[in-house]
Amino acid sequence: MNQTRKPPLLDMEFWSVTLILTVISGLLMWGVVIFPIDQYLAEASSVSKDIDFIFRFMAFFGVPIMVYVIGYIVYFAWRYHTRKGDDLMAVGSDIHDQPALETAWTIIPSILMLILGVISYVVLPKYYMASAASVATIEVIGHKFYYEFRYPGLSQSVDNEMHLPVGKQVTIDLTSTEPDIQHAVIHSFWVPEFRVKQDMIPGMIVPIHITPTQIGTYRIICTEFCGLGHPDMVGKVVVESQADFDKWFADQRTAQAGAANQKPIAFTRGDAAAGGQTFAAKCTVCHGTGSFDMRKVGPGLGNLFHDPNHANLVTGKPANDADVADIIEHGATGDLGTMPNMQVNGLTDKDIANLVAYLESLHK
Amino acid sequence: MATHALQVSDAEYQEVRSHRLLGFLFFLISDSILFCSFIFSYLYDRSASPMWPPAGVERPGLYLAAVNSIVLFGSGVTMHLAMEAWRHANRTRFTQYIIATIVLGIGFLSGQAYEYTHLHDTWWGSVFGASFFTLTGMHGFHVFIGVCFLITVLLQARNGVYDQNRYFGLTAATLYWHFVDVIWVALFFLFYVY
Amino acid sequence: MSSAISELQQEASHAHIHPPPQGFIAKYVISFDHKVIAVQYFITAGLFFVLAGLLAELLRAQLTQPHNTLLSAQTFDEAYSIHGTAMVWLVIIPVLTGGFGNLAMPLMIGARDVAFPWLNMFSFWLFPPAGILVFLSFLYGAPRAGWTEYPPVSMETTGTALWCAGVFLIGVSSTITGINFMVTIIKMRAPGMTWTRMPLFVWATLVTAFLSAIATANLSAALAGLFNQKVFGVPFYDPAHGGSAVLWQHVFWFYSHPAVYIMILPAFGIISEILPTFVRRPIFGYKAIAYSSVAIGLVSFMVWAHHMFTSGLAQWVQLPFMILTMAVAIPTGIKIFSWVATLWRGKIRLSTPLLFTLGFLACFTFGGVTGVMLASVPADIHEHATYFVVAHLHYVLFGGSVFGIFAGLYYWWPKMTGRLLDERLGKWHFWTMFLAFNATFLPMHWLGLLGMQRRVSYYDSQFHSSDLLSFVAGTNLFVSISAFVLGASMLIFAYNALRSAKAGKVAGPNPWGARTLEWMTSSPPPYYNFAEIPIVLSGPYDYGKPLPYANISQDLATEPVA
Ligand code: HEA
Ligand code: HEA
Ligand code: HEC
Ligand code: CUA
Ligand SMILES: [Cu+2]
Repeated sequence: MNQTRKPPLLDMEFWSVTLILTVISGLLMWGVVIFPIDQYLAEASSVSKDIDFIFRFMAFFGVPIMVYVIGYIVYFAWRYHTRKGDDLMAVGSDIHDQPALETAWTIIPSILMLILGVISYVVLPKYYMASAASVATIEVIGHKFYYEFRYPGLSQSVDNEMHLPVGKQVTIDLTSTEPDIQHAVIHSFWVPEFRVKQDMIPGMIVPIHITPTQIGTYRIICTEFCGLGHPDMVGKVVVESQADFDKWFADQRTAQAGAANQKPIAFTRGDAAAGGQTFAAKCTVCHGTGSFDMRKVGPGLGNLFHDPNHANLVTGKPANDADVADIIEHGATGDLGTMPNMQVNGLTDKDIANLVAYLESLHK
Repeated sequence: MATHALQVSDAEYQEVRSHRLLGFLFFLISDSILFCSFIFSYLYDRSASPMWPPAGVERPGLYLAAVNSIVLFGSGVTMHLAMEAWRHANRTRFTQYIIATIVLGIGFLSGQAYEYTHLHDTWWGSVFGASFFTLTGMHGFHVFIGVCFLITVLLQARNGVYDQNRYFGLTAATLYWHFVDVIWVALFFLFYVY
Repeated sequence: MSSAISELQQEASHAHIHPPPQGFIAKYVISFDHKVIAVQYFITAGLFFVLAGLLAELLRAQLTQPHNTLLSAQTFDEAYSIHGTAMVWLVIIPVLTGGFGNLAMPLMIGARDVAFPWLNMFSFWLFPPAGILVFLSFLYGAPRAGWTEYPPVSMETTGTALWCAGVFLIGVSSTITGINFMVTIIKMRAPGMTWTRMPLFVWATLVTAFLSAIATANLSAALAGLFNQKVFGVPFYDPAHGGSAVLWQHVFWFYSHPAVYIMILPAFGIISEILPTFVRRPIFGYKAIAYSSVAIGLVSFMVWAHHMFTSGLAQWVQLPFMILTMAVAIPTGIKIFSWVATLWRGKIRLSTPLLFTLGFLACFTFGGVTGVMLASVPADIHEHATYFVVAHLHYVLFGGSVFGIFAGLYYWWPKMTGRLLDERLGKWHFWTMFLAFNATFLPMHWLGLLGMQRRVSYYDSQFHSSDLLSFVAGTNLFVSISAFVLGASMLIFAYNALRSAKAGKVAGPNPWGARTLEWMTSSPPPYYNFAEIPIVLSGPYDYGKPLPYANISQDLATEPVA
């Protein structure tokens, strides 16, 4: 009954320090909330805001973690350190376990990580899931040390400067190649203002989806080391109104019409014999020369132009030179699988013309 | 050497033996990770390829490999018998079985040499060849080391390095030989069957 | 009780003392003695640290201006590649495993040496040739693709072959050390030292040894593949011949992620020893700290693809890697919080080892939190391969491992040399290093977020608005100046170390009043460590209770020298 009460383990001073730390981290967290990210780095695509939200969320809970950890370290070190004249052999508290506390600091981070995981999980698909709204597929090919853009409807590619209409979703197919595929290396496609990045890998096509939301000119940066020219590999993406975009596109068309190689690929007559060699080298991995049903990976191509049962190509278009060339150029994805494009197969425009000629010559 | 088997007390020998055995087991685990890593590479390349083996590449013949496997597994049996003979203090039997194991091991290596020289595919010719020659080559190298190991063990046994209760070198050689056998099962399945 | 002791006594009497080696070579060069081997590791790795650090200073000198012409692009690329390679494989891993592991672990478990002294000697002697091979590659066109050497681009340099060979050797060395340490810890603990009486540094070393023995074999395979592709054209990673460029990334990171925990767990262990010693109270949550090391070690094998979130992995592959990566924050947090709680109500002696420990806690926690920011896939898509990653990796590797290493050096220096380092110089070293470190690497975070990618020798083309460019250039200049100060702060340590040989206070066996076994013998310890194998009766951190050892002369826990 008369026992003197032990002083509480956590005294007033401890709680005051905790309060101060709480105020500091509260202020900093508020700072995180109102920090105008877009003034430093424009939020120019539909995912930018989501990603900045994730970032803000992480900084938001990162702040109290840092403030409390550092705050208590400094406070304990100041409060409990030995001063001149203290007995150096004295020992401190012998409390070495505190199940409630330990449970708390296991569970709180777990919950935080769970929330972060869920938010990330929700945002992630926006990169990967194409919506039906995608207006076009642009192929972007990394070279040493520039970007090549291939637009549907343009027979020639555009280098280093990409144009996009604002507010429209586009699909971007990324890959990397060189005239001699032996020398192809990994590049990367990063538009900081879009918060979008994807490696460009030889032998692989990776599609991403972008909806630019702000008119402006942004940079495209290669972040994957690709050789001595790596720092030079900077492109431009111009986001403009639909009208401006259409004008640019029309200009490209006219400009290309005047260029030397004006005919779309398919209309150049190729050499069937050379095509046969290319076919043996590059296509027989997946195609035989039997009938459509004699599949390896892709369908048999022996009857391609003359098959009454399959009058239409897998693309649904009739089998004519231009559309076959189109498949060989851009590849195809359908029920039967995925056929790689010309970059991956390592074809030149001339090869395509030859291949078309060869395929045409097959069934006689 | 202070740790020479015949100069230390029994208790001390048992302790040193248990250290070596554990160390050797960890070595085998580490070694199998080496194989697993290449097997992963093989399966990865395989899954990324539209057809397997890649166009223009033929799998090496099953027949020769099957015969060779029987030779190798046979050597596992003789190895086991050799150890049994040792445990029953039957030195002549032991010597005979060890020699049989060595001969079978060399037989396996010859079979592999024959196979290598009669294939069209090369190490650098395709991804299949890359994995095939790397993995079976590594395995062959292990068999080769195993044969050397066995020859050493045989000589040491004749020179009286081991006695009836102290024969860690033998134990290690047996473990190693069986380990090499087990790896072969995986490789055989991967390259000739699956 | 006494019968239990006599039982243990019997167990202890097995190990007998071998005669010490004679002659210079046997004593100091081809030495089998774990303490000498530890010093060999420290000296060799120290040399590589200076070289790799000077390379870093070259990088920073180049980056003082947006388009500097001090270094050619080629020299710059070679410099950061060898800087990263050397720091990781020739400095941090050898120092933490070969150095501290050898120095402290056998003493702490009351053993006379490691299980296989000959292998220990052999592991060490693989290390100098490995380093020489890596640096020799400069003569043949050093690799340029960073310490990660992603093919195909890494195939463009001749030095890649030498690089592979060098790293392969260090990998073999690390595997052997790992096996050796595991057997030592499992089999050779002093009688009575049960698992939960093991000092925490030994726990950390055990998990590290496990990772070294398992993961490093995989590195060897990856390097053999890369070497064969470079030298013989074997197309493992060659997309032009049916291989896959991404495959290398998988096998490389399957090793290299566990490797980052090889580089931090021993530092955790060092921290766990220093804290109770200088706070003079039992460590908070002994078991939680020990088991979370094990948890980190196990999970570390399942997170490697977080380095590859932009390499075209399918979404369903990314998700588990993201979740598991985040999960690592939980056991690590348990450790951090337990350490902070250890400070509470201690009798804290703010000596240099403790200062470095507190610096470690602050910097590593920050690096860990940015690690979690990288773990979220959508965020990583923005941050990947920028200076944000460079900042993260220096916060964990420098703020974590290097601070831990210096803490350990100040702590065990007297055990190693018999003399103390100077406290005043030590404090100067700490404060300059701590401030310069943060000034160097903190700004890199926003450089990265604003669009500065890593591995570039100039950065004027990607900041097309001149406002942004001048801001970025200013920040880089500030970073570079801080980096020079950071380098200079190392000179204080070098001076302190050299000075201590002559002017250092003689330490005595136990200058800090610590309770683990390495302090229960003279400094430096005799060749055979302990005259009699000690017997352990309870855990190592019960400050205030009598020492839990038998077979030890009790007068060894002398007055500390603050
Ligand atoms: C433990 C590992 C470690 C350590 C300690 C350091 C230390 C330092 N690092 Fe390092 N760094 C890495 C690991 C490490 N780094 C890795 C893995 C990479 C990635 C590489 C890649 O891209 O592949 C990297 C990349 C990297 C980059 C990015 C390169 C790029 O992407 O373009 C930069 C740039 O600033 C940098 C700077 C520094 C600096 C200034 C130090 C300083 O702290 C160094 C200070 C040390 C010294 C200077 C040595 C001591 C010197 C003396 C005692 C002599 C006195 C010297 C002077 C007065 C100058 N590092
Ligand atoms: C010592 C080395 C070390 C350590 C310990 C870590 C620890 C961690 N790392 Fe780091 N990392 C590197 C070294 C290291 N890393 C290197 C060298 C690279 C670059 C490689 C290259 O490309 O060159 C890299 C790159 C890297 C990436 C890839 C970035 C990219 O290239 O896109 C990622 C992504 O997930 C990552 C995540 C993490 C995480 C989640 C941890 C976690 O383990 C951190 C856990 C710790 C904490 C979280 C702090 C303490 C916890 C608390 C106080 C509890 C409360 C906290 C929360 C609730 C968040 N790291
Ligand atoms: C990696 C495997 C692969 C390679 C290599 C490949 N293809 Fe295909 N190809 C396919 C698949 C799968 C399809 C079916 C696509 C679909 O279902 O839409 C296809 C479809 C086609 C079609 C349309 C067939 C039809 O009936 O509509 C043509 C034409 C074609 N490929 C030509 C070629 C040529 C020419 C080459 C060589 C340069 C080639 N392919 C290389 C896999 C491949
Ligand atoms: Cu292209 Cu870097
Ligand atoms: Cu990692």
